[in-house]
Amino acid sequence: MNVLIPHSWLQDYIKTDATPEQLASALSLHAFSCEKIHKGEDGDPIYEIEITPNRGDALSVIGIARELRAVLPRTGYKAEWLDRAVSPSTPGDRDKLEVVITDPTLVPRFSAVVLDNIKITDSPTLTQQRLVKVGTRALNNVIDVTNYMMFDKGQPMHAFDYDKIGGHKMIVRESREGEVVETLDSVKRTLPAGVIVIEDGDGRLIDLCGIMGGKNSEVDENTKRVLLFVQEYDPIRIRRASMSLGHRTEAALRFEKGIDANGILPALWEAVDMLKTTANAQVSSELIDIVNTSRAEKWVALNYDRINYVAGITIERAVVDQSLADLGFVEQNGKVLVPSWRYDDIDIPEDLAEEVVRLYGYYKLPNTLLDTAIPMTDVSESFYWEDRIKDMLKYLGFFETCTHSMTTRKLAGEDAVAIANPLSEDLVSLRQSLLSQLKEVMDRNQGYSDKIKLFELASVYHKVKSGAELPDQPMMLGLMLKGLSYLEVKGIVEAIYAEMRVSLPEDIAENIKDYGKGVYGIELPFGELVSKAKKSGSYMPVTHFNSIKEDMTFEITGNESYGKMLGKIKELDSRNEKVAFKELYKNAFTLSFEFLDRDKQITSEDTRELRENIVDMLGEEFGVKLKS
Amino acid sequence: MSLSDLSQLKNELTSDLSGIASQDDVERLRVKYFGKSGVLKGLTSELAGLSPEEKKQAGISINELKLAVETGLANSAKDFATARKTDSLDDFIKTLPGVKPEIGHLHPVTQAIREIAEVFKPLGFTRVRYPEIDWDYYAFEALNMPLTHPARDEWETFFVDAPVNEKMGKQVVTPHTSNGQVREMLKGELPIRMLNIARCGRRQSDASHNPTFHQFEGLVVDKDINISHLKGTLTYFAKKFYGPEREARIRPYDFRFTEPSFEVDISCGVCGGKGCKICKNGWLELGGSGMVHPNVLRAGGVDPKEYSGFAFGWGVERAYAMKQDVKIDDIRHLLGNDLRFLEQF
Repeated sequence: MNVLIPHSWLQDYIKTDATPEQLASALSLHAFSCEKIHKGEDGDPIYEIEITPNRGDALSVIGIARELRAVLPRTGYKAEWLDRAVSPSTPGDRDKLEVVITDPTLVPRFSAVVLDNIKITDSPTLTQQRLVKVGTRALNNVIDVTNYMMFDKGQPMHAFDYDKIGGHKMIVRESREGEVVETLDSVKRTLPAGVIVIEDGDGRLIDLCGIMGGKNSEVDENTKRVLLFVQEYDPIRIRRASMSLGHRTEAALRFEKGIDANGILPALWEAVDMLKTTANAQVSSELIDIVNTSRAEKWVALNYDRINYVAGITIERAVVDQSLADLGFVEQNGKVLVPSWRYDDIDIPEDLAEEVVRLYGYYKLPNTLLDTAIPMTDVSESFYWEDRIKDMLKYLGFFETCTHSMTTRKLAGEDAVAIANPLSEDLVSLRQSLLSQLKEVMDRNQGYSDKIKLFELASVYHKVKSGAELPDQPMMLGLMLKGLSYLEVKGIVEAIYAEMRVSLPEDIAENIKDYGKGVYGIELPFGELVSKAKKSGSYMPVTHFNSIKEDMTFEITGNESYGKMLGKIKELDSRNEKVAFKELYKNAFTLSFEFLDRDKQITSEDTRELRENIVDMLGEEFGVKLKS
Repeated sequence: MSLSDLSQLKNELTSDLSGIASQDDVERLRVKYFGKSGVLKGLTSELAGLSPEEKKQAGISINELKLAVETGLANSAKDFATARKTDSLDDFIKTLPGVKPEIGHLHPVTQAIREIAEVFKPLGFTRVRYPEIDWDYYAFEALNMPLTHPARDEWETFFVDAPVNEKMGKQVVTPHTSNGQVREMLKGELPIRMLNIARCGRRQSDASHNPTFHQFEGLVVDKDINISHLKGTLTYFAKKFYGPEREARIRPYDFRFTEPSFEVDISCGVCGGKGCKICKNGWLELGGSGMVHPNVLRAGGVDPKEYSGFAFGWGVERAYAMKQDVKIDDIRHLLGNDLRFLEQF
């Protein structure tokens, strides 16, 4: 996600001699991509920075400043850290809060304090301006402080009107399915089970935790006492709730990425200080601080060799040490202590290598081509045939199309594999055939030409065993043709089989679909063809004996099938070298024969015998008569 | 004209032949000598009244004359044919388009995939293919991305409406080609130089995203593989695919399945890296890459202490559209299947 960081706000933390452009470029090359530099109304440069999901710690001004402290010195600029120490306020004892937490995993850390004597007014100009610069708006001096601290420290906060919390009691629990909470934006939200919520002493839900506060406990212009609320929630529950409610707030996006547990109290006390100054606040309760999950310090082994192994070069130890120190790591006895704000992100020596090498500069590493032996691997024959058949079809005048893997339920069929979360009505089921979409493409391009040939080579998907296994995903070759005769279409199919040296199935004609208006389509099982295909033929010695060629014309009776007749003729005698269909004229068809004896010169005596045998056989088997 | 005037006839022929100026003249003379009532017919008819001796002599003379006419006309016709080269109709015909054999068009994605595979072939990368509908385990879990991880948001994933497998999880339309990484490792053959090019799907549709798209994924697993090998390979690809003047660079990024992770940029071909409207300060983002995470190696049964590797996975359509001469402004054209679009490739 992207964050907006005003240059002037960064200067609260860091003093540098880098220009905004230099700063943005250094940040991009060593840490986060600075996508754009906007200009505020007062000319203040505002950096728009893309933060990767692992770096929730950088979704704040202090987070970016911490990165710059490490990055800028490595790119030749100064970076002086301006310390801003905050000390806890003196607690009060007038106000109390009763807290019940039903499950400690819901809220690893629960911190709050009550502030009295509040005077609601507008925030100071600087606060208001800064909130506008980061893309939000000013509301009043109390709410603004909670928002300001979220952008400043990356710590979401909430302020309740203390007097609207029934019985001054909070029960932190998981929601029951169907419970309703009205959030600050006046939307009534019906909750699924398992959402973290707070119930007050009157049994009302007063907070949609980590996502948005409840309407019934909001701070308004009459508020006198405020419960300042700074928490750490279970990131997984927050994420799940925010996703299922479709309510992705700035707070939720930060909580779900994990927040700095050690930053909670400093942020709370800084907010208290701001409220004292701007809202006349007085601390009227003890600090309520319930720690449900205590985190052990995290130490990761510092392995200089591993860092150099990953980088492919040697980085001096002093440089490694300084880089890690600038990022807030503390080194001790060959290990480093991970700073609290990187607790969830740094685990293994490779993580440290990444930190060191990115600060060193990836652009300074050499470019090396692989110099190890090329592996011996089997390559699937499919790729060879895909290229060969695609080329063949191209030179036969085909257009290759590319259609979606998904289509409508109607086109895919009721038994098709369905998508659980479709994007649109026309992409709801995985296709089981390429033909319906090819036909659509044909229809859409109707006016392009009288003759159109289309193909697509892609997978289709069939449900297996009621869907418990992955679908069967065979690769198919779909052809869709317009303006060709039936026999021309069939000829193309035959040519594909011949090119792959696979014998043509007898029932191939049944697979050619006639869509009417001269449009034909056929789908071939390409994966199956590849498994049978042969790249080269086997050599048959060429004989020096001559063949004798003859034509014979037969009457059509309607019982014949060319394929079957051909097979029978070939079976009859090995000297029946070639038989081919020559022509169809009225009610007769002509076959041309080539007779060849590979052992001796064939004579006209021989061919007469062969001819008679063929005529006899065709008569007996198919009732075909020689035309007189 | 008669047999008695043979010598005069020969002279006349000579003058006739020398007077030929066009194909029409040739035809006219052909009729004059060979026509039904032509000179030669007339001479032959005279033979009837001659003695055998005279007949023989006259026959020889007639044949000589006939040969002379034929040769003369043939030569003139030949001259004339040579001269015809300047004929205006012929000149025009030469300007007309030839009768082309019917040649179709491969889809731009196929052309892109071929170019990409050609670039990686000399580096020893072998093409593979894995299921397009695969288990969540291979698409995410084995890639160090557990079910609840926010990083999954980056992949707008289509899920299949099917029972959840206890070990493998849900079925997904692979949102990237990285599902091939662990599957390739589990073949148990090391080292690896894999190029997985496949159809993928994501729940998004705009000018730069199609719900159906293609990715190409490189995976190298071997001993002593470091970032410089990744950089070398990327730079090689950039120069071969985009041109020798283009550069590649890597920037820090985060992917769960690589550590460290990088975003790969290619210098802009339009402005030459100076910065312009279509690029970000002279660079165009190509996609992600990184050093294979030890957890991913482990999921593939590879010992991270012994082996390391790098991986990259980029969109075919995006990579192709970034070529300076391709100029595809809206990636949705690629699935529009408008023949007027496809015929340009």
